[in-house]
Amino acid sequence: MKLRVVAGVVIGLLLVAAVLPVDAVTTHLGDRFAGPSPAHWLGTDHLGRDVLVRLVTGTRLSVWFTAVAVLACAVVGTLAGLFAGYLGGAAGQALQRILDLLVAIPTVIIGLIVAAVRQPGLDTLLIAVLVTGWTPLARLAYQLTVRERGREYVEGALALGAGASRITMRHILPNAIRPLTAHACLRFANVLLSLAGLSFLGLGAQPPTPEWGAMLAEGRQFVFVAPRLVIVPAVAVVAVSLFVTLLGRHLDRRWSR
Amino acid sequence: MPSTLVRRLLALPPLLLLASVLVFLLPRMAGVDTTREIVRARTDGIEPDPVVAARVAAELGLDRPLPVQYLHWIGGVLTGDLGTSYSTRTPVAAQLAAAIAVSTLLTALALVLAAAVGIPAGVWAARRPGGPLDRAVTGLSVLGVAVPEFILAPLLVLAFAIAVPLLPATGWGSVAQLVLPVVTLASFPAALAAQLTRAETIDALGRPHVAVARSKGLPESRVLWRHGARLALTSVVSLSGMFFAGLLGGSVIVEVVFAVPGLGRLLYDAVISQDLPMLQAGLLAVVAVAALASIAAELLALSLDPVARAGVEA
Repeated sequence: MKLRVVAGVVIGLLLVAAVLPVDAVTTHLGDRFAGPSPAHWLGTDHLGRDVLVRLVTGTRLSVWFTAVAVLACAVVGTLAGLFAGYLGGAAGQALQRILDLLVAIPTVIIGLIVAAVRQPGLDTLLIAVLVTGWTPLARLAYQLTVRERGREYVEGALALGAGASRITMRHILPNAIRPLTAHACLRFANVLLSLAGLSFLGLGAQPPTPEWGAMLAEGRQFVFVAPRLVIVPAVAVVAVSLFVTLLGRHLDRRWSR
Repeated sequence: MPSTLVRRLLALPPLLLLASVLVFLLPRMAGVDTTREIVRARTDGIEPDPVVAARVAAELGLDRPLPVQYLHWIGGVLTGDLGTSYSTRTPVAAQLAAAIAVSTLLTALALVLAAAVGIPAGVWAARRPGGPLDRAVTGLSVLGVAVPEFILAPLLVLAFAIAVPLLPATGWGSVAQLVLPVVTLASFPAALAAQLTRAETIDALGRPHVAVARSKGLPESRVLWRHGARLALTSVVSLSGMFFAGLLGGSVIVEVVFAVPGLGRLLYDAVISQDLPMLQAGLLAVVAVAALASIAAELLALSLDPVARAGVEA
């Protein structure tokens, strides 16, 4: 399978990039705004730091932190959707109302709220993304559970005396996991862009930590001197977000009816 | 009368009430010492001594119990008194009204542009699924979803304000200054509208009413637009309520990058300067605008949907 190979290679490269022992924060003021050269393939930034090294180190936050955030959203959303969907009634109504309320508030706004009451930083980012990020997965899990609840195998399990947690986790979840995975993949791009956007606004990763959104914000100040400082992180963000979106669309087509 | 709409309308007051309580409590729940923050904001970061802190707290009513503070605050909100900004010391309401007007104009223009580009693109793509036009539209729409505002904005500035100096990079007030922010804000909803319209139109073209229209001998373009794209339009419009809320979020970044004095910029500045009355009023405005927009979109979708309308009349 061609896609599987491509996906494996990309994920492998991103893993290697995250653990590469390179120095991305020491400044070399003598080398400011150096153009691309064999020593610095993508040149240096306004503090003489190697752009490629910062880009590669930035995957730790921009890609892997996103993965953690998406996983957290997926777990919370799936559990909430499964149980509310299975129990139905008041629990289902309560979840629907919460989702209605949260869908009206964009992640960036939540990020602003969290940043207003906490110090900007990684935990601020994670909270901001979690508050809204679990809702689409909860909605999907809820719909899937409501659909599956009426099936014969659930009635069978119920007749055998299985409890709510056993039925949801052992019987319904395996039937819902594929559409949920595909959707989580599609959410990845969204979370990546939210995190980078918040860092771009100065509410996430703090200098000198390399992060793509923060690099973009820094580069924007020197766009007249070195447009490269804007273009390089922009291409990185778009490439990763396109990659996961296409992967998610592919999985979605294959796994969702 | 469609019951979903009634339910949405009935849900609005409790929703706003809940949102107002959350907005009111948020800074306090997080353990921010409001009095200290105010004194620090007014004095460039000097720690207040307890006497000063107590006097400031009494002056601002911050020493009273929370429910009393909430009732005082919400009473003011309902009568149009949103308090005084900590940082500018002027009434919040006037600044908020001006900012909402700016953001509403920006968002509405972006939505109109997104619909004007996205819907026809989606219909044309649906005409021949898999054809070259469809591939182009699908590719562009995937790109439009993957490229966020904070990347598109600097790139557009780079291209149209620096490399080819056609348009102003920042500011607000002239038509030329509208172009880049509106285009930036429109790209995501346009892409989404194109994808949705395409999927819905392809679906509709396979349905019996389209077969009937074709068998009547209607020209293909009329079949495509009047019978195929019709249902797609309804879904896009009902989704536009959500777009509107999402655009308000995206407008934070757009307004900061392009120095547009709108609601997003106001919220951002309020956070940066710890201006709590401004932040609370702004957040309440976002929730209210988003809720109203989604209901308005639902009404509009209802009036466009022949099936739902028939249900209303029956």
